[in-house]
Amino acid sequence: MSSVITLEHVSKRFEGKRQVIALDGVSLAIERGEMVSIIGPSGSGKSTLLNLVGGLDRPTSGQVRIDGEALADLSDDDLTRVRRDKIGFIFQFFNLLPTLSCLENVGLPLHLRGWPRQKVDERSRELLTLVQLGHRLNHLPEELSGGERQRVAIARALSIYPPIILADEPTGNLDTHTGEEILALVRDLHGRLGSTVVIVTHDMKVAESCPRTIALRDGRIVQDVRR
Amino acid sequence: MILLRLISWPYFRKHVLRTILTVAGIVLGVAVFVGMHTANQSVLFAFSRTVDRIAGKTEIQVTAGEAGFAEDILEKVQSAASVRVAVPVIEAVVDTNIAGEGHLLVLGVDMTGDRSLRDYDLDSGSEEVIDDPLVFLAQPDSIILTRQFAEKSGLAVNDRIRLGTVEGDRQFTIRGIMKTGGITSAFGGNLAIMDVYAAQRMFGRGRTFDRIDVGVNPGATIAECERELTALLGAGLQIEPPSGRGQQFEAMLAAYSMMVGISSLFALFIGMFIIYNSFAIAVTQRRSEIGILRALGATRAQIRWLFLGESAVTGLIGSIGGLAFGMLIARGIAASIGTLLSDVYGVAQRADEVSSSPALLAAALGIGIATSIVAAMIPARNAARVDPVQALQKGKYQVLSTGEYRLRAILAAIGGAGAIACLAVGGSRVVFYTGYVMAIVAALLISPMLAVALARAMRPVLKWLRPVEGALAADSLLQSPRRTSASVAALMLSLALVVAFAGMARASYDSIIDWMETALNPDLFVSPSQSIVVRTIRFPRSMEAELAAVPGVERVQAVRDARIVFRKTPVMVVAVDVASVAQTARRQPVAGDADDMYARTSAGQGLMVSDNLAQLQHLSLGQVLEVPAPYGVIRLPIAGIVVDYSDQQGTILMDSRVFQQYWHDDTVNIFRLYLKPGVPMPDVRRSILERYAGDRQVFVLTNAELKAYILKVTDQWFGLTSVQIAVAVLVAILGIVNTLTVSITDRRRELGVLQAVGGLRGQIRRTIWIEALSIGVLGLVLGLGLGAINLYYILQIIHEDIAGMRLEYAFPVTVVAALVPTILASAFIAAIWPAESAVHGSLVEALEYE
Repeated sequence: MSSVITLEHVSKRFEGKRQVIALDGVSLAIERGEMVSIIGPSGSGKSTLLNLVGGLDRPTSGQVRIDGEALADLSDDDLTRVRRDKIGFIFQFFNLLPTLSCLENVGLPLHLRGWPRQKVDERSRELLTLVQLGHRLNHLPEELSGGERQRVAIARALSIYPPIILADEPTGNLDTHTGEEILALVRDLHGRLGSTVVIVTHDMKVAESCPRTIALRDGRIVQDVRR
Repeated sequence: MILLRLISWPYFRKHVLRTILTVAGIVLGVAVFVGMHTANQSVLFAFSRTVDRIAGKTEIQVTAGEAGFAEDILEKVQSAASVRVAVPVIEAVVDTNIAGEGHLLVLGVDMTGDRSLRDYDLDSGSEEVIDDPLVFLAQPDSIILTRQFAEKSGLAVNDRIRLGTVEGDRQFTIRGIMKTGGITSAFGGNLAIMDVYAAQRMFGRGRTFDRIDVGVNPGATIAECERELTALLGAGLQIEPPSGRGQQFEAMLAAYSMMVGISSLFALFIGMFIIYNSFAIAVTQRRSEIGILRALGATRAQIRWLFLGESAVTGLIGSIGGLAFGMLIARGIAASIGTLLSDVYGVAQRADEVSSSPALLAAALGIGIATSIVAAMIPARNAARVDPVQALQKGKYQVLSTGEYRLRAILAAIGGAGAIACLAVGGSRVVFYTGYVMAIVAALLISPMLAVALARAMRPVLKWLRPVEGALAADSLLQSPRRTSASVAALMLSLALVVAFAGMARASYDSIIDWMETALNPDLFVSPSQSIVVRTIRFPRSMEAELAAVPGVERVQAVRDARIVFRKTPVMVVAVDVASVAQTARRQPVAGDADDMYARTSAGQGLMVSDNLAQLQHLSLGQVLEVPAPYGVIRLPIAGIVVDYSDQQGTILMDSRVFQQYWHDDTVNIFRLYLKPGVPMPDVRRSILERYAGDRQVFVLTNAELKAYILKVTDQWFGLTSVQIAVAVLVAILGIVNTLTVSITDRRRELGVLQAVGGLRGQIRRTIWIEALSIGVLGLVLGLGLGAINLYYILQIIHEDIAGMRLEYAFPVTVVAALVPTILASAFIAAIWPAESAVHGSLVEALEYE
């Protein structure tokens, strides 16, 4: 299998009154179609790792490659295009736009790519039906439960059928039952769509449900387990 | 105080740009107020000082407006027992012919008696020339200059200076140079002294004087002397202390001052909205902080005072900045007013020093601080009402509550109904102005709801145009009506001001053009001065026959016009051969019958008055007017009321014979010439210039040139108000920048999400741009609507209270057509910086932002 995500000696330091090393020379390869969980205590660098892989941030040193493309060399807009075409994000706090309906939220990445309105509409309906929210198309986020909001966020992440899905604590803001449902949904979609899924989590049950788990501590990989 | 240091100061430090924008609102408002009023005050002060310095020890002046009077009045004055000394004076403003020096005020005095009223302290020149008035008189080309003027112009004693006179440019010999001090500082130092009888000849005054300066006998009081002179001379002359001239000058500027006042008030009002907007936003953003303070035991009063204290400090800093900036712009404005006075009113005035009274500065400081505190009152009250439990929870507080909506709607409806009722009831001016205020307040109250309704209507259109950017921009406006509406309201107010002034300007132009078409239809105008409003140089009447004899000339009409004091107000008297004018420029009266009006006026049995004079002085057809003149009071009925724009304070038209009878003055200000059909105008013009070459100073203007001159002067009148309009728009733009800066902070996470899911920088920028343009559109729609209403009120105010001009209501379509792209472009410019700041922040921080 070929690596879809590669990190080569990646470090991230935050300058301030006191320098903070969030990631310290991390090297890592994730194969296409893998489902990987990243665990570690607070401040271990999990979210920083996810932000760098997702092109939301740039490393202080080292190289991040997505599908073989080195992110460090890209301009801001080119980086955005990588996110737009290859990555779907699922956030802990959903990050849905409060003024847009479910249909509009899911269609957002497609509109940004300049898709025709009808096609955007068809795809958004299809995905919302897939996450079992076909009956909530025109509802605003504030009219939905936490689980439903996360489903909309998942549908949005899937809207472009991205090869990579990055999830930052996707169940962190949900109750246990809803969290399990969401996780089942992610696993199901992973199975059906074959995307590479990287999940950052605190929850060991979530981590253990993934075939591979990488543990971080003080910005370094301390464990990489395949099941 | 401790709360201000602990809570407010860190907030201001964190939001430097927004703080600067807030302060800028007050700076501009106060600066316009201070600049305009200081300039106005400086010009008035300079005029009074000139009058004062020239007056010297004069205690009473005898005048007949600017018309002057015959020499025999002097003997009567000198015969009064209470008069110690009485000397004749002529004043004329002439072109210096020296580059950059402009005009020179020439004072014609009688040296035999004048030195007991004025000191001519010479520092060079032949003392005996001045000491012996006969020597001065024997040399009619003698002139004395001030040291400032001589030094600036590189002139010395016995040098010669060329000045424009009625006889053309004439050489004068400098016989003396006055030491600096006293009289020499009058008219900015551009002052010259010559013999009064030489001045009569040089400036075409015939045997008349402009005024008589009087020194009172030590045994009599000024009041006694005034009484004696009034008994001796009759009621037709003004007998008053020199300061009376300053009051007349002030009255002449009244219309302009009122317009300045209205515009300054609008600028402050708009500044107030910027402050309101900033504080309303601050309260919303600092809810959790307020909640913590409340939870820790801060009382509601302490929270309220915290915000009021912040606004007072902001107002103080902004006002100090405004004072400094205002003084800076006052000099430029004073120069403009000087030009305006000389071009519109024909009164030459130089305000070389810009000085402001401590009272004005204190008032501006007070107004700035008060404006700021008043603007922050509602946000401060809202802050005090914050519930600590709710405040510590996250959520949206930008929305208006249903209760507030209802209250605003009810108050707006009451205001609107009140405004309509005031118009319907009419009657007193108090009712009218109450209605005006109610209409503006109603518009302000209803503006947030209208803005939201319009934004909601715009959303589908914006979404159709740009599915993501358009929808998000509209949503941003809808989600924060407080944030949006204050900016929209500021823009609405400034546009309402622009529309009203533009409408007034257009209506004035239309009316003036109409008037010019009928009243100013001669082919040529012959004037002794380049400026038709300068009346200090006049022609002898004998020129009428000479001009009539010029080949190609069919008819000549001599015009004598002068500003006199009528009912304590300076108004214009225009004397013409009414029978002749009736044949060539027949006007339809607003009141009266045209045939009867011309017949009675030409027969000397009636007077015609302008519409604006009738309005301002409450005159009606048939009413007997009492017009003061040096040789008696004219008592004649009003034979007709006509539209006439010769003067802003109004015009009295009479037959030349009546004027000559009551003023003993047959000089002429301007000749109106009609040419024979088919005669080429340039040929006649050349003939006239050749006829008087080297003999007389003559300017010949064609009809088109005169009309262009009048329109240029009209432009100047509106020129200063356009500066204020620009400031008002600038203040409104500041509001948009402020709103967008806050909007971006509020939507940081939303914009971060947009970028995370693939929004390119260009797409983010477009969202901000569309939001700014939408604010522009909302402001335009509401501003043009309120402008249409405001225009109605302003035209009424002009008609009833300022100029008495009856102006037709016409919406200024052309200006609005220019305004739409201007405002949209300004809104776009206002969005550039906020949009850049939106795309340059950290994405990770934006996604974590709460």
